[in-house]
Amino acid sequence: MKRRETSLFWRLVLRVALVLCGGATLLSAAAWYYARAAADDAYDRLLLGAAIQITANMTVDAGNLGVTLPSSAFELLGLAERDRIFYRVVGPDGRTLTGYDDLDIGINVTAARAGPVFLTTEYRNVPVRVAVVSRALSDPSFSGWAYVVMAQTTEARRGLAGELTTRAMILVGIMSLLALAGTVLAIRYSLLPVDALAATLRARDPQDLTPVEADMPRELKPFVGSINHFMGRLDERVTLLQRFIADAAHQIRTPLTALSAQVDMLEDDDLDVNRKRHLGRVRDRVSQLARLTNQLLSHAMVIHRSDSVRFKPVDLGDIARKAFRSTVPITVDPDVVVSFEDSAEPVFVRGDAVSLREAIANIIDNALQHGVEQRLAVRVRREDDRALVEVADDGPGIPPAEWAAVTTRFVSSKMGEGSMGLGFAIAAEVALAHRGTVRFLEKGGRDFTVILDVPLYREGT
Amino acid sequence: MRIFLVEDTRDVGEAISRRLEKVGHTVDWQTDGQAAADILEFTDYDLVILDVMLPGLDGFEILRHLRARKKTTPVLVLTARSEIEDRVGALDLGADDYLVKPFDFRELEARTRVLLRRRQGDPTNLIECGDLVLDRNSRSVRVGNREVQLKRREITLLEVLAARPGRVFSKDELLDRLFGFDENVNPNAVELYVGRLRKKIEGSSVRIVTIRGLGYQLVADEAA
Repeated sequence: MKRRETSLFWRLVLRVALVLCGGATLLSAAAWYYARAAADDAYDRLLLGAAIQITANMTVDAGNLGVTLPSSAFELLGLAERDRIFYRVVGPDGRTLTGYDDLDIGINVTAARAGPVFLTTEYRNVPVRVAVVSRALSDPSFSGWAYVVMAQTTEARRGLAGELTTRAMILVGIMSLLALAGTVLAIRYSLLPVDALAATLRARDPQDLTPVEADMPRELKPFVGSINHFMGRLDERVTLLQRFIADAAHQIRTPLTALSAQVDMLEDDDLDVNRKRHLGRVRDRVSQLARLTNQLLSHAMVIHRSDSVRFKPVDLGDIARKAFRSTVPITVDPDVVVSFEDSAEPVFVRGDAVSLREAIANIIDNALQHGVEQRLAVRVRREDDRALVEVADDGPGIPPAEWAAVTTRFVSSKMGEGSMGLGFAIAAEVALAHRGTVRFLEKGGRDFTVILDVPLYREGT
Repeated sequence: MRIFLVEDTRDVGEAISRRLEKVGHTVDWQTDGQAAADILEFTDYDLVILDVMLPGLDGFEILRHLRARKKTTPVLVLTARSEIEDRVGALDLGADDYLVKPFDFRELEARTRVLLRRRQGDPTNLIECGDLVLDRNSRSVRVGNREVQLKRREITLLEVLAARPGRVFSKDELLDRLFGFDENVNPNAVELYVGRLRKKIEGSSVRIVTIRGLGYQLVADEAA
């Protein structure tokens, strides 16, 4: 099973979201609690007000307790439109003077003597809020405690509490979302340097093993430090390896020259066809080996020079001509038209003559080995602010799909026989060191063209 | 021709001498740099083939000594990449040509031949005809900025034709000039070389015209 990819971003977002959820739940609970208290408080006052009005309207007339129900008391309660109201007025003797007789919900009305009593209970299977108010009657003919029990269903209270809670929850929700969005933005922003670092590393040329230098937040410093440390070690290894390869190739060269000398001395006049064929194969392989050895040395050389030689203005036409003359063998097939065309005006570039010559020589050599059938043309020209060396041949060329691959080492083209060797890799290496590229032009009926493209040198640049 | 070979690797020296002797040259072969420099002090050769890495005195030193004494003997330097690296100057130091080791022995022989011929050749190395310039030194023909490499016999053929533009040369005449009298060659070889040469001077105002039954003639269009 594939291990799940961890992401700093999602880790942070998940945790912040959990905290926000917890917080929102707590806040909502608190809001509900307070809303209910507030609703109770508000409606209790109305209830109390109504009860007190009733008690105020009690009259003692000739030893009889009378009560007229003031309509204002019910109007007050009528503000809660959908709630029903029950009341009961109890005389000192415990008799119900008026109201619902059965509104006797097991309350000890005497507790109300000290002050109004509120309680929540059920009446006729509906939850109600009850207020009990007392009044001491001290008429000479009639004394004792009378009570008013007012009950109101709780729909309005619940409605109010619900509405208050909902509003609070909406606010809490909005705040939580804002906080989450802010967090996401903040995390994204904080992680930007990581992306930037990644982009810097990605954009890097694989050959470039110098320390990464970029503005980094302090937290990333150890990470960049480790990368740099690692690259430093890698660079050392690569340098060692390159030196080793160069040394090895150098050591191989002498016995190889001797070997090809020995092969050359084998007379093939008195050999039968079969042996002649074998000898031919041996010769081919020896020259292939020689070519490869030279390429290895050449590669090591251009890499070494790319960071040790100071560039200066050089005439690319001149360099290309030298490369052309030394690379095209005198023994080339006489049916091949081999031509060199210099630019009419001088083409100066800032660079290292030796490396550039190696690059051009290798491109020409590749064309000779893998391309040419009838025609090989080397042209030097300038185009705007670029200096171009074009090597065109009428061979099969390299299909575009393989263009990227052939500039890396030892990749063989399916079109050609065997490996392309290091030729294009050397050219690409040199082009890179000169801030240029090695490009290819599609055959398209015409010749297949390899172009070494480097910036033109201008006074003061 | 007398050729002086300075090469300390036995197999290589042996192979070079054998090859050059087989085509009729006399080869003196030295393996020590100092001894070679001493010999060059008082002996003249037609060509010196010089290895760079030598015991005693290195090839570049020998070359410098030779040139310091104003000797114009052609010198072919055998070198390795890592050695030319620091001395792009193999040619600047006065070498006439160089080969990178390991090299192809047929190429060595071909380059030797070119150097020896150049020595015997005319003092004038440039021959002009129409917009064509034949440069024997670089074995190439130039039209404007474009130069095309020519083979030895193609150069000879162009030389012969260009010496008398407009003159018709018969096939037999050209055969003699190209191959000498003693070589047993197919008369069709002339057609082959003319064909190759035509291809290589394409785009110039100069053309090789075939006159049926008579031979070939070089015609320079004066249209330009």
